[in-house]
Amino acid sequence: MKKTIFAAALLAATALAGVANAKTLVYCSEGSPEGFDPALYTAGTTFDASSRPVFNRLVEFKPGTTEIEPGLAESWTISDDGLQYTFKLRPGVKFQTTDFFTPTRDMNADDVVFSFERQWKEDNAWHKYIPEGSYEYFAGMGLPELLANIEKVDDLTVKFTLKNKEAPFLANLGMDFGSIQSKEYADKLQADNKMVQLNQMPVGTGPFTFVAYQQDAAIRFKANDAYWKGREKIDDLVFAITPDAAVRLQKLKAGECQIFPYPNAADVPAIKSDDTLTTMEENGLNVAYLAYNTQQAPFDKVEVRKALNMAINKKAIVDAVFEGAAEVAKNPIPPSMWGYNKAIEDDKYDPEAAKKALEAAGVKDLSMKIWAMPVARPYMLNARRAAELMQADLDKIGVKAEIVSMEWAEYLAKSKDVKRDGAVILGWTGDNGDPDNFLHTLLGCDAVGGNNRAQWCNKEFNDLVLKAKTTVDQAERTKLYEEAQVVFKREAPWDTLDHSVVVMPMSKKVKGYIMSPLGHHSFSGVDVEE
Amino acid sequence: MAQTTTSPSQIGPVSTDSSRRARLAEFWYYFSENRGAVIGLFFFLFLIIVAVFAPLLAPHAPTMQYRDAVLVPPFWEEGGRATYLLGTDAVGRDILSRLIYGTRYSLFIGVIVTTISLVGGILIGVIAGYFRGWVDTVIMRVMDIILAFPSLLLALVLVAVLGPGLTNAMIAIALVFQPHFVRLTRAAVISEKTRDYVVAAKVAGAGPLRLMFKTILPNCMAPLIVQATLSFSNAILDAAALGFLGQGAQPPTPEWGTMLAEAREFILRAWWVVTFPGLAILITVLAINLMGDGLRDALDPKLKRS
Repeated sequence: MKKTIFAAALLAATALAGVANAKTLVYCSEGSPEGFDPALYTAGTTFDASSRPVFNRLVEFKPGTTEIEPGLAESWTISDDGLQYTFKLRPGVKFQTTDFFTPTRDMNADDVVFSFERQWKEDNAWHKYIPEGSYEYFAGMGLPELLANIEKVDDLTVKFTLKNKEAPFLANLGMDFGSIQSKEYADKLQADNKMVQLNQMPVGTGPFTFVAYQQDAAIRFKANDAYWKGREKIDDLVFAITPDAAVRLQKLKAGECQIFPYPNAADVPAIKSDDTLTTMEENGLNVAYLAYNTQQAPFDKVEVRKALNMAINKKAIVDAVFEGAAEVAKNPIPPSMWGYNKAIEDDKYDPEAAKKALEAAGVKDLSMKIWAMPVARPYMLNARRAAELMQADLDKIGVKAEIVSMEWAEYLAKSKDVKRDGAVILGWTGDNGDPDNFLHTLLGCDAVGGNNRAQWCNKEFNDLVLKAKTTVDQAERTKLYEEAQVVFKREAPWDTLDHSVVVMPMSKKVKGYIMSPLGHHSFSGVDVEE
Repeated sequence: MAQTTTSPSQIGPVSTDSSRRARLAEFWYYFSENRGAVIGLFFFLFLIIVAVFAPLLAPHAPTMQYRDAVLVPPFWEEGGRATYLLGTDAVGRDILSRLIYGTRYSLFIGVIVTTISLVGGILIGVIAGYFRGWVDTVIMRVMDIILAFPSLLLALVLVAVLGPGLTNAMIAIALVFQPHFVRLTRAAVISEKTRDYVVAAKVAGAGPLRLMFKTILPNCMAPLIVQATLSFSNAILDAAALGFLGQGAQPPTPEWGTMLAEAREFILRAWWVVTFPGLAILITVLAINLMGDGLRDALDPKLKRS
C-alpha cells in the first residue's frame, strides 16, 4: 500500500516536472466553441478551437494571406472545361493518436470522400448525426447543387466533378467545413453507437491533438508528435475561455495567458504603451453595414435609402466605436481585396441634402427601427453605440429611430426574415478571400431570406456576380465585380459603415504568430520564449 | 377613588392629543432622533427638486451628442472643460446633464412601482385577511409562488415576455414586489380584525367594505409605509439592474443603470463615465434606505421609548 502511494507521488512529481519543462501557450479565447465538428458550425470561435488546431484541409490558406497552398492534397489538376478537379493526396499523413482512438492506417482517399459525402448525401448515416445540427456552410456555399460526383480514383487520388464552372471552388475547399475527418474513427464510433462523440472529441491530422474540454473554462491541446509538417515548437496549447475583454487584458497582464483576441477599443492605446506587451495589427478582411429591408416601404425607394445614407455620419461611428482603428467603408468589399473599385464615390455626409432628398421622395414623419447586435465582432465592436450615433444623426433630419436588440442567436435568425421591420447592423469577415464570398453570398438573389439581410434582389447586380462566379480569368472577373459595385452604390441596399483594423495583443515572449486576414487564430509555428 | 379619576385638566394636553398636528410633532420627535434619517430625508427632497427643475439645472440637453468632445474628463482633471463639469461619455454627451435628467427616471420608477405594488398589495391583502378561508389560501399560495423566484430573475423573465422598455420594466418590478405588501397587509388585518373596536363597529352595523377600508386599514398603515420606502429604493436598484442588463430603459434614455451598462468597457480608460452613474445610484438608494429606517423607528410602537 505504502509503496503504491510512493509510486503515485513519484509519478505525480515527474508529471509536474514534465509540465514545468513543457512549453505552454495559453490563449484567452472569447467564448466556448459550439462543438468540435467544424462542418456543423459557422462561428469563428468554433473554428479557432476545432478546424485550425486539430484538422487540415485539402488546400490551405498560406499563413497571413488569402492565397491557397497545398494541404493534404500535394497537387491538383483542373480539366480544361473547369468541371473536374483531381487531387493527388499527400502520402504518409498520420491521424492523431489519442487516449480514445489509435489510428491503424494513414490518411487516404476514403477519408476525403467521407468528409464531403456526409455533408452532401442525405442518405449518409452521418448526414444528421446531431439532431439539431446541419451542414450550414456547405449548403450556404451552394455545394449541394454544384457537386455532381466525388470519386475515389485510387488510394491517394480523389476526383471532384462539378455541374458548372465555379471560379472560387478551390478557395472554398480551403474553408473550415472542408476539414478532413478520419473515416476509420467515424466507423469505430458508429459501431460503438457513440456517433455524437465526433463532435465532442475530434481526431484530425492537424498540428495539435485534442486533450480535454471543460465548457466555459478551458480547452487543452498538445503538440501532435506525428504532424506531417513537423512537430510544433510548443508542447501544450491551452484555450482559457474568457468572454469579457477587460478580463482578458487583465489575464494577459498577470501572465495567465500570453495572447488574446478582440481587445476593447478603449484599452488599445494603453496596451500599445505597455512595454511588456506587443500588439499586432492588420486591416481586417471585413465590412460592417446597415442593411435596410428593401422590401419594406418606404425603404424600397432608392431615394429614401440614399437620403438616410447621407444623414449618417460614418466618420463619427469610426471615431466613437473604434477610436479611429477602422476606416469608413464605401464598397461592400474591403479595400485589401482584389476587385475593389477605387473609383467609386461615397455618399457624402450632408444632413441638409438628406433632409431635402427625403422631402423630395415624399416621405414625412418617418420612424424606423435600427437593429443593433448584442455582441462585439471584429467589424463592429459596439453596435449599440453605433446605433445611438445613427439615432442622433437621423433625429437631425426628422427621422425617429428606435433601437432594437436581442440575444445573438435570435438576432441572426430573426434578421433573416423577409418581413423584418427595420434596418439591421451586421457585418462579415471574408472566408476565402474571394469577392464572390461577399458580393454573391451577402447580396445575391439566392441569399434573400438568408445572408442577404437587405432582402435585395437586383437583376443587373445578380447577373454580374453570377457571371463572375463562372468566369475563370481573374482580370475579367475584376471588371465584372467593379461594375457590380457601381450598381450596388447606385441602388444603396446598405449603408456601408466600416472596415476595421484587427488588433491582437500578446506577451513579448510570443514569437512567430502570424495574423490571418481571414480572422483565423492559428497557433501553428508559434514559439514561446522562456 | 380619587386616585383613579384623574382630572381632565391634568391629562388634557396629552390624551385629547388626537389632533393631527400633535401627532405629527410626535412623529417628527422620534424621526429626528435618527440623524441618518434626517440626512436621507433632506437628500431625497433635494432629488425631488433636481428632478422637477431638471431642464433649468442641466447645462446641456441629455441626448445631445457633442462629437468634438468625446470622453472629455471632469473639469478638475487634465484636459477637462468647464462646460462639461463631470465630463462626457463615449458619444460626447454631458454626464452631469444625463445624471440630472436621470433623477427624473429614477424617482418616476420609484413612485410608479411603489404605487402600483402598494395599491395592489393592500387590496389583495385586505381581502385575504378579512375573508380568510379558501380566498385567503388561493391568494397566499399564488404569492408564495411569486416569492419562490429570485426577484430579479422573475423581473427579467417578465421583461423578456413583455419586451424590453422602461414601462414594461416597471410593471415587471411592481409585480415582483407585490407579495411583500400582500403579506404585510394580510398579517396586520388578521390581528386587527378581532380587536374590540372592530367588533364594535360591526355590531353598530358597518358593512364589510367600511370595516375593511375605513375601520381596519388605517390601523395597519405603519408597517406598509416603511415597506413602501424600502421598496422605493429597491425599485430604483432593480430598474438600474434591468437597465444594466439591457432590458430596462432603451437608449438614448439617460437612465442610470443603462448609463452604467454602456460605460462598462471604460472602467480602466475613463473612470468618470462609470463612476458617476454608480455613485448616483448608490447615494440615492442609501438616502432612501436611511429615511426608511427612520420612518420605522418613528412609526413602530414597539420601538418607541417612552
